[in-house]
This record gives sequence, structure tokens and C-alpha cells, in this order.
Amino acid sequence: MAIYKKQHLHKQDYIPKSSFRKHLTRYWQLYAMMILPLIYFIVFKYIPMFGNVLAFRRYRPGMGPFGVKWVGFRYFKMFMQDSAFWNAFGNTIILSLLNLLINFPIPIIFAILINEVRNVHFKKAVQTVSYMPRFISTVVVIAILGEILSPSSGLLNNFLQSTFGIEPIYFMNDAKYFRKLYILTDTWQYTGWTAIIYLAAITGINSDLFEAAKIDGANRLQQIFYVTIPSIMPTIMVLLILNVGRMLSLGFEKVLLMYTPSNSGVSDIIDTLVYRTGLANQNYSYATAIGLFSGIIGVILVSSSNAISKKLTDEGIY
Amino acid sequence: MKACRSKGSIVFDVIIYIIMIFVLLVCLVPFLYMLAVSISEPKAIINNEVALIPVGINFEAYKQIFAYPNFFKAYGNTIFYTVVGTLIALIMTTLFAYPLSKKSLRGQKFFMKLVVFSMFFSGGLIPNYLLISSLNLTGTRFAMLVPFAINQFNLIILINFFKSIPNEIEEAALIDGLGYFGILRRIVVPLSKPALATIGLYTAVFFWNDWFNGLIYLNTDQFPVMLFLRNIVNGTSMLGDAAGSADKATIAISIKSAVIITSTLPIIILYPFLQKYFVKGLTIGSVKG
Repeated sequence: MAIYKKQHLHKQDYIPKSSFRKHLTRYWQLYAMMILPLIYFIVFKYIPMFGNVLAFRRYRPGMGPFGVKWVGFRYFKMFMQDSAFWNAFGNTIILSLLNLLINFPIPIIFAILINEVRNVHFKKAVQTVSYMPRFISTVVVIAILGEILSPSSGLLNNFLQSTFGIEPIYFMNDAKYFRKLYILTDTWQYTGWTAIIYLAAITGINSDLFEAAKIDGANRLQQIFYVTIPSIMPTIMVLLILNVGRMLSLGFEKVLLMYTPSNSGVSDIIDTLVYRTGLANQNYSYATAIGLFSGIIGVILVSSSNAISKKLTDEGIY
Repeated sequence: MKACRSKGSIVFDVIIYIIMIFVLLVCLVPFLYMLAVSISEPKAIINNEVALIPVGINFEAYKQIFAYPNFFKAYGNTIFYTVVGTLIALIMTTLFAYPLSKKSLRGQKFFMKLVVFSMFFSGGLIPNYLLISSLNLTGTRFAMLVPFAINQFNLIILINFFKSIPNEIEEAALIDGLGYFGILRRIVVPLSKPALATIGLYTAVFFWNDWFNGLIYLNTDQFPVMLFLRNIVNGTSMLGDAAGSADKATIAISIKSAVIITSTLPIIILYPFLQKYFVKGLTIGSVKG
């Protein structure tokens, strides 16, 4: 018992290297707990990673997840010469850049404004309601959108027609509106939710700073520009860099739900291309190659932006 | 303080209140509209009289979907996936998070790297699909549950929470002869209710809203309600035809709205109760994690 106790009082990192057996007798239960989760990680996270070799191998249905014959970069060369790929690639970049440009600043502005609301109950009510869309399924979001924009019975077209006499517009079918609708629904769904992090940062600002600014005669707008924004700048920077890193991982399911033949020119992104060539047309190896390519770009983006973030702000996700 | 409230400040307040009321409306109007359409008279819908307030009261749309056997089946499936999936996820995540919260555990750093790496690099759609089908999970309900047993983001939230529990409590229990399984079950889990509620809510929302995995892995009678809804919206489901009358199209609109309302209501009802937890959980996970 005494040994037991002594080891525990020197808990963190005080275990002599030689006594692995002792370590195991004491901690075996912790290792036992991890067995099932570790098997899960190996099977469901790491085996699919190795499944990416399919991009270099020919696959025949029923042959298991690793293919049958090495073909080198054949599938990579194929998609590099495929105009559908470059179209999807361009659409992905444009859509994610637009999304970043618009939906990155809006939650910051929202957080700053909601922080200026003085009535606590009203503030709480706005917050509660603004998080809500985050909990709604993409299917529901797009279904509601379709109803509101419906040319025959939708709220918006009715309003436009009765007030301005505008003929019904087929919003969901018109390629012109696809990007706007994609970005707007993202704003609707995630503004309140993303603002939580900025609000937490604003709450952490030392109130002396505001007092000092007030004494110096700063009005509320000046306080926002000279105190609030500079104080949350580190948070903004970290999130900006992380968002750049995650740029290519767009909401694939939403694009799939909004996809119609008439907007396919702008709505085909890399993920939908993978889905279409892989699962619908069963070109497994070809689709894996495209998926692997965009996955690697994603990893490069994440790790380089994380490295920049660590250098600039000492913060990162890993 | 009164002296500080200049005219400019009051104007500022008014502008902010206007913006906030606009935000409130934008978030609420779509739901109110769906609710209004789902319970209005068909005639009013045809004449485009329905905006945010229902015109007349008519529960025909709800009667129709409740009479449709596949709706109940899909709804039941969703409840099953949500309850069982969340339970599995909570258990598996806890079992991994607890050992990983102990720095003195050998290999802890290695396992953490294993987890974090898998957050940024994954098999992608096709390798995952082929794995599930070669494990013969396609066409079984396991395909909706097992592949999502651990979400790495939730895992990290929980690890951070476990780290914040004072060591002294566990040490006392160890001296009293309790093993780590006992400590986890009797001390750590009860102390971690806020964190478990947070990731439980995230997970439940994920399972409730999932449809894509159902689309690629399941048979029709195993479909969750969101996939059922998608098929109605796409017109690939026969539900609209059930009406079979002159104003079929109109009724189809009310039916869509009724499905939207019924499939969304449980989440909307659940989340205010857990809200106080998840705000804390999110800030722990993202700022510190």
C-alpha cells in the first residue's frame, strides 16, 4: 500500500523507465479501456487511409478494398486531363473563397454588436434563437429554402409579385443564384454559432481598458474600434488561419442537395464529382484518385496554416 | 453613468436593437412560415394568402403523413439511430478519453498523435464506402452507427474536461482500493455530466440529421426520416400521390411542411435544455483545445 501511495503522490511523469511491469500492473485497467476504441480507430480511420492505395491500383468489384493491380499514376493523369475535374476544381475554389470572404467577418460583427446589447434578457433571447439554425439538418434547410423560394407558392416570389409585379423567379434552378444561396444559407445556419467563440473572447477583455477609453472620451463606436477589435485580434487571426486551412472542405451534402441539372455548371465541386464518378458510375479507382488529391491539398493547407498560426499567435490546433 | 448616455449612444442603441430584431426575424420566419403552411386551409395556400399566420386550421397534412406507414417507420428508425448511436458514441469516447487524459500513461502522446492525424487526413468517400461494404455492413443498421462511434473533436473536448478534474479525488479513491474502471464509473463520469451532455447533444444532433450515410448504405425500410424528407422534396417518394385530389400540388406543399416541422421539432425542443452546457463545452474545446 505504501508503494502504491508513494507512486501516486508523484504522479505525473515520475515512473522509472525500468519498471514497465510495475507500470502495467498499476495501469492495466487504463490500457484495457483503450482496446475497443483503438480497434475502432484502426478499422474505421486508418484502414480507409490505406484504402487510398486504390488510387494507384485497378479495382474490380468484389475484390476487397485494396484493388488488384498496380497502375501507377494512371488515374491521376486521367483526371488532370479531364475538363470535368478542372471545372469542379474551379467551382470549389471560387465557392470556398467567396464563403470565407463573406461568412468569416459576419460572425465577428454579430458578436461585437450583440455584446453591445444592454438588456440581458433580450441579449439571451437573441443568442438562443441565433444558435438554433445550427441544429437543423441540411435537408431541412434546403427544403425550407425550396419552399420559400418556390416560384408558384413561395413567400418571396409572392411578395415580389404582389409588391413589385416581378414575374416568379426560379431561384433554385437558376445557376445565377446557386452561389448566393449557398453562402446565404451558411450565414443563416452558422453566424450565431460561430459568434460564441468571439463572444467568449470579448467577455474576457479586461474592463479597465473600456473604463480608460471612456475617460479619454471615446464613444461606443470608438471603443469598439480601439479596444474590442484589437483585443480579440488574436482569436480572429487563429480562426482565420484555421478557416483557410479547412477551406476546401465545403458542405458537400448541401451542394448535393442543391444540385440540379440546370445549375450543374457552377454547383459541381470536387466532392460531388467524387460521389458521382465513384458511387454513381462505380469508377472507384478514378474517384479515389480525385479524393486523395483534394485530401492532400487539404492536409497541406491545414498544416501550413497551423504552422503560421503557431508562429504568429502561439496558438494552433495541434 | 447617465451623463455618458449621449445622443450618439442612444442612436447607437436603436441601430443595434433594429439589427438584433432583424436577426431574430430572419432566424424565426422560416419556421413560422413552415408551421403556417402546414396547418392552413388548402384554399388559402392556393390563393397565396398564407404568410406567417395560418389561415384557417387544417390538420389534414399531419393526418396524411401519420397515415403513411413509411413515415412512422422512418421516424422510428431515426429515433433508434439517435438513441443507440449516441449511447455507443458516449461510451466509446469516454473509454478512450479517460486514459488519454493521463499524461503518465506510456504512449499517451503517440495515441494523441494518432487521433489528431486522423482528424486531418482520412480515407475519403470511396475507401470508406468499400470498407463498409467489405465488412458486410451495407444494408444493416450498423452502417449508421458503428463508423461514427468516436468523433475526434468531441474526444478532445472530453479529454480536456477530464484533465481539469483535480487529481486528488482520484488519488483518494485509488488509496481506498478502487480500480480505474471504478473511478471512471463512480467518480469521473458523475463529475463530467456537463461535458458528457455537451458531446451527447452534438452526437444526437448528428445522428438525428444524418441522411447521406443512409442514402449510400441502407435499404428503403431502414431509411432515417431526413432521407424520407429528401425523397419527398426530390419528388422520388410517392407521398404526394396519396392525396389524389385536384389540389394535389397544394397538399404536397403542406405535407412537405408538416414533415419538416415534425422532423425538426424534437431537436428544437431538446436544445434549450442543454444550451447552458454546450456553450461552455464549445469554448473549452475550441479555445483551449
